[in-house]
Amino acid sequence: MRVLARALAAALALGAAAPTTARAADVKFGALFPFSGQLALLGEESARGVEIAVDEINAAGGVQGQKVVLARGDAVDNNQAIGEARRLISLERVVAIFGSYSSARSIAASQVAELSGLPYFELGAVAEEVTGRGLQYLYRTNPTAEDMAKLAVEMIVNKVAAGLGKKPGDLKIGIIYEDSSYGTSVAGFQKKFAAQAKLNVVTAQGYPAATVDMSSLVLDLKGRGIDVLLQTSYQNDSVLFLQQANEAGFKPGAIIGGGGGYSMQPTADAVGHTVIEGVLDTDFTQYLVNTQYTPGLESFVAAYQKKYGGAPRSGHSLNNYVGAKLILQAIDKAKGFEPDTIVKAAKGIDVKDGVTAVGYGFKFGKNNQNERAAMMGMQWQGGKLVTVYPDSAAVAPMQTRQ
Amino acid sequence: MDVFLQVLANGVMLGGLFAIVSVGLTLIFGIVKVVNFAHGEFLMVGMYLTYLAVSGLGLHPFAAVILVVPVLFLLGALTQRFLIQPLLAAGDHHIQIFATVGLSTVLINLALLVFGADIANTPPSGLRQPLQIGPVRVLLGQVVILGTAILLVAGLQTFLARTRTGRAIRAVAQNRAAAELMGIDVNRIYALTFGIGAACVGVAAVLIAPLYPTSPNSGTYFVLIAFVVVVLGGLGSIRGAFVGAILIGLIDSVTGFYVGADMREVAVFGVFLAILILKPSGLFGRQLRLSHVSP
Repeated sequence: MRVLARALAAALALGAAAPTTARAADVKFGALFPFSGQLALLGEESARGVEIAVDEINAAGGVQGQKVVLARGDAVDNNQAIGEARRLISLERVVAIFGSYSSARSIAASQVAELSGLPYFELGAVAEEVTGRGLQYLYRTNPTAEDMAKLAVEMIVNKVAAGLGKKPGDLKIGIIYEDSSYGTSVAGFQKKFAAQAKLNVVTAQGYPAATVDMSSLVLDLKGRGIDVLLQTSYQNDSVLFLQQANEAGFKPGAIIGGGGGYSMQPTADAVGHTVIEGVLDTDFTQYLVNTQYTPGLESFVAAYQKKYGGAPRSGHSLNNYVGAKLILQAIDKAKGFEPDTIVKAAKGIDVKDGVTAVGYGFKFGKNNQNERAAMMGMQWQGGKLVTVYPDSAAVAPMQTRQ
Repeated sequence: MDVFLQVLANGVMLGGLFAIVSVGLTLIFGIVKVVNFAHGEFLMVGMYLTYLAVSGLGLHPFAAVILVVPVLFLLGALTQRFLIQPLLAAGDHHIQIFATVGLSTVLINLALLVFGADIANTPPSGLRQPLQIGPVRVLLGQVVILGTAILLVAGLQTFLARTRTGRAIRAVAQNRAAAELMGIDVNRIYALTFGIGAACVGVAAVLIAPLYPTSPNSGTYFVLIAFVVVVLGGLGSIRGAFVGAILIGLIDSVTGFYVGADMREVAVFGVFLAILILKPSGLFGRQLRLSHVSP
């Protein structure tokens, strides 16, 4: 009898200490990102975009008259991503999940959401496999690794080759990449599109992102006489490579980074603005861009500055912001928060290019991927990352050395 | 030929880097007989301290040694005294291992909290100056690392062989019970050794920080190789750690250039496995007894 009483008391106590109390008129969405661990920086950055979107939606009256509340889930590693997804679904009772920056986390967590029949909106992960698995409730708003690779090859064919005074087919292309799903995915598509464009890919080598030395790779690339080098990497390996390439005297005609470390100011500061001058980059829409093509970008940056006391650290927040806001606005027009209702609302989104703060339009197509999503081409000029491609979004001309 | 020499030079420089990180680890492993999984994080803490000293106080990295090494020594000694020592009485050695894993996680996330996940860049302070030695190009900082590693190894060997404290340390490593009976304060020796091991990592950190980006995860990049080097060289053998490090550096560099960047780790760990199968105690190791008390 005493045991029963104690158990009852414990159950009541647990019930009272319920997670994030929301009032009856609130609607909860999950925000599942890596907030700690290896990927914390851009995980947090991505989530900030979602938070600003939620602030703006709430200021405009919420979704279907209800205030949006975000329940955070920390996807510090793949196992935790799964656990947190379960917690968000069963305990927090979210109506949908926004996530996740990391493709690996997204793939793991979205499986849980699918099994529960809950919508999962991926706003920033780029690996192809995320939307390639035939899931009914997973939608992705952002451009993918395939888009990134396509743009890089486009840049080479349309601008870089001419800038170097050579025909595209005469260029010696080198592809290097960190060997997790991010680098491997982008590099795989770079090879595919390069082959389609009849470019000469001389070498394609993967390496571990947690490397402390790239001197042998640099030496190899230098020996092969690479004209255009494509690297897909995080911060640490971007810095290492650019520094060691510069010191070994490896100066190819063009270096094109695939997002990651190449888009980040600390990378430029660490490598040195003179060393990184002219380095190209393909990534999500960044901030030095023609705002006629990206209306709303400046007010997003202002909102970010006000809320977080500093400039955005990368384009991830911007992309997550636009994706989350459009989804929430679409759900606002629907009635109820049933999974199928939400999904139907999402399918109805039809936005043209040049209307949103990221420039690209929105329409979910095959595999629930936003088929209008596209990356942009940037270049480090004077220590700043400026958009140089496509011309409609460019704020500065692309510089190439002869 | 020039290219081959450059590949070798890169390998030796890399080996110097591994050596200076591993020396402290083998000392701790060999004497205190604890697997310190927080070793990489000690390096990371040292690198951040160097970053603060150089960019915040404007010190030259060599001057930062005065600040970083004592702090790291304290960190090591305190870890031994308050984390490891209470657990030494436990019957199972694995408990101490998990304690150091816990310490590692705490340090990484503390660094994340304090410094954020962005890389911190210590100003090179002239250590990125390229040196042209014949057909080979290396950085001044790399040569300093190699030279310091050699000095550190020689210094530690002399300390252990010739000084009274050094002999006490070796006595504790050989037979703790007998050492205690001889009047040696074993707990003090353990704390001292852990502190010296951590101080060695402090020296490594000061020299590495101007050459590599620092982030909360920097330690994890070095620690696995450090363990490979230490086991390959023979647990507790300082000379072995140095030789193992140079060997691993050469294998890494040669494979990376002649085979491919993706095969580097395969080659390094392949050779590691092969040597262990042929000589389980490592290149210079004797039979290691993990018992803390008696042979």
